[in-house]
Amino acid sequence: MNLLTLSDNIVISARNLTKTYRLFDGPGDRIKQFLSLGLRKYHSEFTALNDVSFDIRKGETVGVVGRNGSGKSTLLQLVCGILKPTSGSITVNGRVAALLELGAGFNPEFTGRENVYFQGALMGFSMAQMEERFEAIATFAGIGRFIDQPVRVYSSGMFVRLAFATVIHSDADILMVDEALAVGDESFQRKCFERIEEILDQKKMVIFFVSHNIRQIERICSQVFWLDQGSLRLGGKSNDVCNAYHNEIIKDVHAQQVERSGAYNCTASGEIDVIDISMSHADTSDCVDEVVMHGSAVVSIRFRCHIPVTSLDVIVGFHTADSVYVVSTSSSAVLGQSRDFEVGEHIVECTVPDMVLTPGVYYVRLAFLDGYRRNIWDGHRLHAFRVVADSAVNVMRMPQLSLVDIPFQWSFKDPMSVPKENFQV
Amino acid sequence: MISNFTTHRYLLGQLILRDVLLRYRGAMFGILWIFLSPLLMLAIFAFVFGHIFQSRWPEQPEGLPFWLLLYSGLIVFNIFGEAVSRSPTAVRAYPSYVKKIIFPVYLLPLVPLGTCLIHAGLNLLILVAALAWTGHLSSGILLAPLLILPVLLFATGLSWFLSAWGVFIKDMTQIVPLFVQMTFFLSPVLYPVSVVPPALRPLYEYNPLGAVIEAIRAAVFGMHISWVPWIVSLISGSIAAVLGLAFFMHSRDEFADAL
Repeated sequence: MNLLTLSDNIVISARNLTKTYRLFDGPGDRIKQFLSLGLRKYHSEFTALNDVSFDIRKGETVGVVGRNGSGKSTLLQLVCGILKPTSGSITVNGRVAALLELGAGFNPEFTGRENVYFQGALMGFSMAQMEERFEAIATFAGIGRFIDQPVRVYSSGMFVRLAFATVIHSDADILMVDEALAVGDESFQRKCFERIEEILDQKKMVIFFVSHNIRQIERICSQVFWLDQGSLRLGGKSNDVCNAYHNEIIKDVHAQQVERSGAYNCTASGEIDVIDISMSHADTSDCVDEVVMHGSAVVSIRFRCHIPVTSLDVIVGFHTADSVYVVSTSSSAVLGQSRDFEVGEHIVECTVPDMVLTPGVYYVRLAFLDGYRRNIWDGHRLHAFRVVADSAVNVMRMPQLSLVDIPFQWSFKDPMSVPKENFQV
Repeated sequence: MISNFTTHRYLLGQLILRDVLLRYRGAMFGILWIFLSPLLMLAIFAFVFGHIFQSRWPEQPEGLPFWLLLYSGLIVFNIFGEAVSRSPTAVRAYPSYVKKIIFPVYLLPLVPLGTCLIHAGLNLLILVAALAWTGHLSSGILLAPLLILPVLLFATGLSWFLSAWGVFIKDMTQIVPLFVQMTFFLSPVLYPVSVVPPALRPLYEYNPLGAVIEAIRAAVFGMHISWVPWIVSLISGSIAAVLGLAFFMHSRDEFADAL
């Protein structure tokens, strides 16, 4: 072996990894290419991964983010050894278990039990070794008596559970997961993450994780790579890379909005049109896309009424990229009355005195209800903005995965000074 | 790779087992079909060649039914024919094994061959029963597993080669079965080599298929086995296997791109 294996704890080491695919126009060209022995070129080339280098140590969890077609899956396949790099090298020390496609080795005609044993054979386990762990796998999958039914009668959720259960019990040194956890119900997802976190605590396994769910990545990864058109754009601490990636996504969303030239993605019955949605700080009127956490912000909406509208109620809300609706407010509920609007342009402003959302990317949702509580204009994912941390708040110490930060108050008291009857068991 | 193969043996066994089971799973007679189909074939052979054609070969031993000669040749040809016909799809039909999991892909073309061997083994048992029943059983049949070695190596090499081509060129799935059918009539299954014109005879004797069919027939009926063509075939079969594997491993890197 080489020096890399000696330098301790490096499990995966990639040097100038490049993968170029040959694209043929038809099967005939491939034969011509083969017969020409490389003297002529009958194909065009596509570089999916370009000059990527990194080292991964034992116990790390690596996330890979990037847009579709940025080379994430190619990178995973290279680490697995399924693909050979066109140039550069990759050294992997340890057994790799891959979840590039859940249940890739499963055959629908065989029962769950048979498929688990076969999957075990694929991963290099003997019959006896599989017998040892079968009970654990079946319990983890939790699909009950379906284990002895052919896999073709499974629901897609059961299929995923069984496949994931098999792979997670493979004692691999490196686990590759490619957007596999998106399926499966909530309780199973939680079980998977618990199991992954358990593995992380033991610091035994390297997990390589590809997902479009930035929150997931931020939560479980210690290191994140951002791939952009095949190149490693940024690699490093999870928070830094995810933030940079967030920024890029926002830029994209805004660019798309400009392209659509103000036509918002909505369902409307035609009484009113929204012309513009913008965000600004309360003290200045400059438009911003960044709001400081616990700072103030104003959402202003410019809209036009085509006919007079009576008792209009405006709803403004914020949601995350994965459509979790965090807060919303209604103008008539807050003001105690709804208003009538004449034909023409109007502006309505909604002030947020204290932005309680935690750092991340959010979107504005907006709806107009008429006097009969009918939805006459309804849109989601309208205006993207970013909440950034105030320097006064220690973001690093904030618990992950909370969407809002309420100004809680804490106090520690001496138990002797509090009368006992205040605590009820 | 040789050391890998010992660890991959269990996996190969499982793959072959699946391939065999999958064919009969869900069928009413299930695994019984493994015995039923060759038995039916043998019955038809006995009827058509024994009763209708009443065929005889020049060197046919006295009292030996012709259909048994035919059947023993057919067992050998089926190993070759079935395995090679299926080889173009051996890898092509499993894109997820190539692209989605860490898998020794070189095992895939061996799966149809393994399945054919299991079938051939059962066919051989039926042949032994038929021989015993007609009173022609001789000890030569014990050599059969050794004698088929050249054909096995040759078919392995061809399977590796054709399965790699099958990945890149879909037409192979049409072309190869056609060629296998042509080979059936050109190989000495329906006739002995001795009736072939002398000019063409070496071609028949010194290729793995012809040599093994002749050798098996001779062994089964207690006649003299000509070892020289057999050894030549063993060598050429080994060369085919090595070349086939080399070609397969060479093109393996491109599989994931092509599928």
